[in-house]
Amino acid sequence: MRAKLHYRWYTPYLFLLPGLALYVLWMIYPLGYEFYISFFDWKIMPGQTSEFIGWANYQRVLDDKNFWLALENTVRYTAVTVIGQMVIGLGLAVMVHRVFIAKRLFRGIYYLPVVTSWVVVSFLFQFIFSAHRGGLVNYTLIDVLHMLDEPVNWIGETNTAWIIIYSLGIWKGMGWTMVIFLAALQGIPPELYESAAIDGAGEIGQFRFITLPMIRRTTLFILVALVIGGFQVFISVYLITGGGPLHRTEVVLSYMYDRSFDRLWFGYGAAISYILAAIVVLVSFGQLRLFGQSDDADY
Amino acid sequence: MKAKLLVLVLIAALALPAFAHAQDDVVTVEFWHTYNEVSPENEMLVNTLIPMFEAEHPNIKVESVPFPYGEFRQTILTALAGGEGPDLARLDIIWSPEFASLGVLLPLEDVMPDYADYADAVFAGPLSTNVYEGQHYGLPLDTNTRVFMYNSTVYEQAGIAEPPATIDDLVAQCDAVTALGEDYYIFSDGGTYGWAVLPWIWSFGGSLTDGAMTTSTGYVNGEETVAAYEFLKDMIDSGCFSPSFLGGGMDSGTGYFTNLFASIMDGPWMFPIAEAQYPDFTIQTALLPAGVGGSISVVGGENIALFVDSETEAALEFLRFTQSDEYQLKMSEVGQLTVKPALLESDYFQNHSYYGTFLQQLKTARARLPHPAWSQIEEVLTDAGQLILRGEASAQEALDMAAEEIDGLLAEYE
Amino acid sequence: MTVNNRSQRMFHWTILALLTLGAVIAMAPMLYMVATAFKPAAYVPEFPPKFIPDNPTLENFRTAFNSRNFDTALFNSAKVAVSTALLVTTLSSMMAYAFARFEFPGKTLLFYTILAMMMVPTMMLIIPQFILASKLELINSHTGLVLVYTAGGLAFNMFLLRGFFESLPYELEEAALIDGANQFVIFWRIMLPLARPALSTVGVFSFLGAWDEYIWALTVLTDPAKRTLPIAIQNFRGTRATDWGLVFAASLTAVVPTVLLFVFFQRYFVQGITTGAVKK
Repeated sequence: MRAKLHYRWYTPYLFLLPGLALYVLWMIYPLGYEFYISFFDWKIMPGQTSEFIGWANYQRVLDDKNFWLALENTVRYTAVTVIGQMVIGLGLAVMVHRVFIAKRLFRGIYYLPVVTSWVVVSFLFQFIFSAHRGGLVNYTLIDVLHMLDEPVNWIGETNTAWIIIYSLGIWKGMGWTMVIFLAALQGIPPELYESAAIDGAGEIGQFRFITLPMIRRTTLFILVALVIGGFQVFISVYLITGGGPLHRTEVVLSYMYDRSFDRLWFGYGAAISYILAAIVVLVSFGQLRLFGQSDDADY
Repeated sequence: MKAKLLVLVLIAALALPAFAHAQDDVVTVEFWHTYNEVSPENEMLVNTLIPMFEAEHPNIKVESVPFPYGEFRQTILTALAGGEGPDLARLDIIWSPEFASLGVLLPLEDVMPDYADYADAVFAGPLSTNVYEGQHYGLPLDTNTRVFMYNSTVYEQAGIAEPPATIDDLVAQCDAVTALGEDYYIFSDGGTYGWAVLPWIWSFGGSLTDGAMTTSTGYVNGEETVAAYEFLKDMIDSGCFSPSFLGGGMDSGTGYFTNLFASIMDGPWMFPIAEAQYPDFTIQTALLPAGVGGSISVVGGENIALFVDSETEAALEFLRFTQSDEYQLKMSEVGQLTVKPALLESDYFQNHSYYGTFLQQLKTARARLPHPAWSQIEEVLTDAGQLILRGEASAQEALDMAAEEIDGLLAEYE
Repeated sequence: MTVNNRSQRMFHWTILALLTLGAVIAMAPMLYMVATAFKPAAYVPEFPPKFIPDNPTLENFRTAFNSRNFDTALFNSAKVAVSTALLVTTLSSMMAYAFARFEFPGKTLLFYTILAMMMVPTMMLIIPQFILASKLELINSHTGLVLVYTAGGLAFNMFLLRGFFESLPYELEEAALIDGANQFVIFWRIMLPLARPALSTVGVFSFLGAWDEYIWALTVLTDPAKRTLPIAIQNFRGTRATDWGLVFAASLTAVVPTVLLFVFFQRYFVQGITTGAVKK
C-alpha cells in the first residue's frame, strides 16, 4: 500500500513545466505544424507566399516511383539489419554469458562501435570498402581469403553498395542488442538450467526451452526498438552513397532530406515525413499486437 | 542607496551599446564563396585583395567565408531561408537563374546606377548567365573551361607521341595505354553529370534543347546526342575509359597525377593543385579531341551576386572592386581566369604558361543551360547517363525518357 | 560452475576462441582507422594494408588542428554537449519525479502522448523545427542546437529516471515532510543525491548524443566558426581527392573522449540501456 504524499495541486505542474514547455515547443508543436505544412506548396524564402494545395503533396508522393523505391529500400534495410543484429547479438550474448574469463572486456569491445559517431563510422566503412586493391575488404577477400580475383568497386554498384550499408548497420548495432540480451540472460535463475540438466536436456534443449522463453519480453523490446531505428536509417546512406547510383540506395529519410533542403520542396518533404511516421507507428503497434499478447507490454 | 546603484547600472548597461555603436560606423560585409579553403586562391583573397580593398574603404570590413563546393548551394539556401544569408556571394554560374527565381538576389540594374559600365567590360557569354526574366542579377567573376590534360609519363610508356587531335585519334591510342596494366586507362571522368558529358555531346554535334530552351525532344534524344552516349558506353565497356564514370573508384585527378590515367579533362585550378600536392608533376594541355561537332568544351565559372537584405551600398563597393583590373589580374595568377576581354591582350596572358590553351578552348566552349530548373534537369541527365553506361537501357531508350522529363521541367517555367 | 570434464572444457575454449575471433573482426575497422590517422598523405589505401604504419607521424593531427576551425569545432561540441547534458538531466529528472510521485489531472494522457511520440522518427520533424528555428532567429546559434537536442532527449531519459524514482522507498520523503520540508527541497536534497547513478547515465547519454549529432547541426549551422565536430570532420573529406589520414586524425580526436567516457562509465551505460528492456 502506497503512502500518500501531501502537496499542493499545482506542485506537479511546477516540476513538469520547464521540461514540458521545451518538449511542447520543439516536439509536439512541430508535429502539428508539419501536418499543416504538408498541405501547402510551401515556400521557404522570406517574402514568398505559400499556396494551399490540399492533398496534392500526398498524391505526388504516392505517385513518385523514387519514393516507393526509397520505402522498399528502407524496409529491406530494416529487415536485414534487425535480423542481423538480433541473431549476432544474441549469439554473442550467449557466448559472453558463458565465457569464463574477460567477460567485461568482450562486452566492452563489442559495444565500442555503438558509442562511436555515425559520421566517423560511415567514413570508416567507405574507406575500408574502397574500390582499390589496398582497401581493407578487397584485400582480405582477394589476398587473404582468395575468394575474389579482382577488386570490387563496392560503392559503384547498387547491390555491393548495400553490402557496405547493411554491414555497417549490423556492426554498429550488434553490441547494443548483445548488452541487453546479456542482462536478460543474467536474470534467468540458474536453478532452471540445473533442473533441466538433471532432466537430461542438452545445451540446445536448454536454449530452446528455457533461454528463449525467459527472454521473450526482452526480445520483443529489442525488436520494436530496432525496427523503429531501422526506419530511421539516414546518416550512413547520406554520407556513403548519397542515395546513388541512380537513387537506388535512397532511403525514405535521405529522400525526404534531399527533396526538402536541396530542392526546397518543404511541403513535399513534410508529406513524406508524415507517411513514414504513420508507417512506423503502425508497424510498432502491429508488432506489439502480434508478439506481445500474453505480456502486459507497458511501453 | 542600493536602488540608486541599480538604476545607475541599468542606465549604463543600456547606454553602453549606443556608445559602442556611435564609435563604430564600420559596415561589415559578408562574402561567401567556394575558393578552396587551403589554396593559393583563398590566400590571395584573404591576404592580398581584401586588405587592399579595406585600405581603400576604411569604413567597410569584408568578412570572407569559405565553403566546400559540394555543400555550398544547400548551405546558402538554408541560410537565406533562416534569414542568415550573406551580403554577397560567389555563385557557380549554373545557380544564378535558380537563385534569382527564388527572389533572393537583387537586380543590379535597379540598385547600381553604373551597372552598364561594368556589364560592358566583361565577356557577353559569362554575363548572360546572370540573366533571369530580362534582368541581371550579378556580374561574372571568373570564367573557365575544361581542356584536355595528358600525362607525359604514361604517353612515354605507351609510346604515344602527340595528344589526339580527334576523337578517332583518341580511340586509336587506347590499346597502347591499356596494355600497360589493369589500372591504366586512356581517359577518366567522375560521373555522368553535365560538366562531364556535355563536352562529348557537343563535340558529337548534339545538344540538350533548342536555343530558346523550350523543348528537349529531338535534341537530348537526337541522333548526335545518342551517338555520344553510345561512344562513352563502348569506351568504358572496352576498358579504354575508366569505370569511375559510374561513380566510386579512383578519383580522376588522383589517377592522372599518379601516372595511371593517360588523360583527363579539367580546369585551370589543377595547376595550383599540382604545385601543392604533386610538385614534380607537369600538366600537359591540349584542345579537346574534335568530333563531327568540333572541339567543344563546357564553360564554367562564377558570378558575384548581391542578396536582398544586404548592406547594399558597401556590398556594391566590394562588387565593383572584384571587377577591377587589379582583382581580376591577381586572381588570374592563381587559376581564376579573368572575365575582361581587355585584359587578355596584356603581355601577362599573351605569354602565360597555361592559359593559352584555355583561352583558345573558350572560343568554342558553350554554357550549360542558364535555366532555373538546371539542377533538376541535370539530375535527369545524370540518371539517364548511368542507365546507359550500366547497360540497363539503350542510349535511345534512356534519352527518350529523359527528353520527356526535361520537357516537363521546361514547361513548368514557361 | 566447475569445469568438470573434457568435453565441457573443450566447449569453454571453443567459446573463448569464437569470441576472440569475433572481437578481432569487430575491432579491425577501428584499429585500421587508428593506423591510418598516423599515416602520411593517405589519399589512396596502401597495398597491402598495414595496421602498423611504416613511418608513423603526428602530421595529420597537426594539420587537422591548424585548419578549418577544427579546434573551434572541438570547443563548440564540448560546449553544446555539456550544456545539453546539464539541461536534459535537470529537466528530465524533474519531469520524472512528477510522474513517479504525484497524481494530477492529465497525467495519463500526457504520459501516453510522450510514450507514443517516442515512436516518431526524430528526423521527420526537421522541417518544422527548421522553420521554427528560423522564426525564433535560432539558425546559426548554439542555443538552437542545445534546445532541440534537449527536447529530443527528454522523453527517453524521463522514462529512465521515472523507473528509478519509483523504485525508491517513500519513507525518506515522508520523514522529510514531517520535518516541514517542501517538495522542491525533498527533490533537491533527498531524491537527486539518491539518483546519482541514474543521473550519471542520463548525463553521459545526453552528452554523447549531442557530441555526435550530425544532421540538425549540418542544417542549421552555416557559419564555419560555429560548426560542431561531425561537420568539421566531414569538411576534411575533399571535394576531389580525400586525405584519409587527415579525416581519421580528426575522427580519432572526436572518438577518443567518447571511448574514455564509455570505459569509465561502462556500468552506467549497461544500466541505462537495459533499464526497461529487462524486467528484474
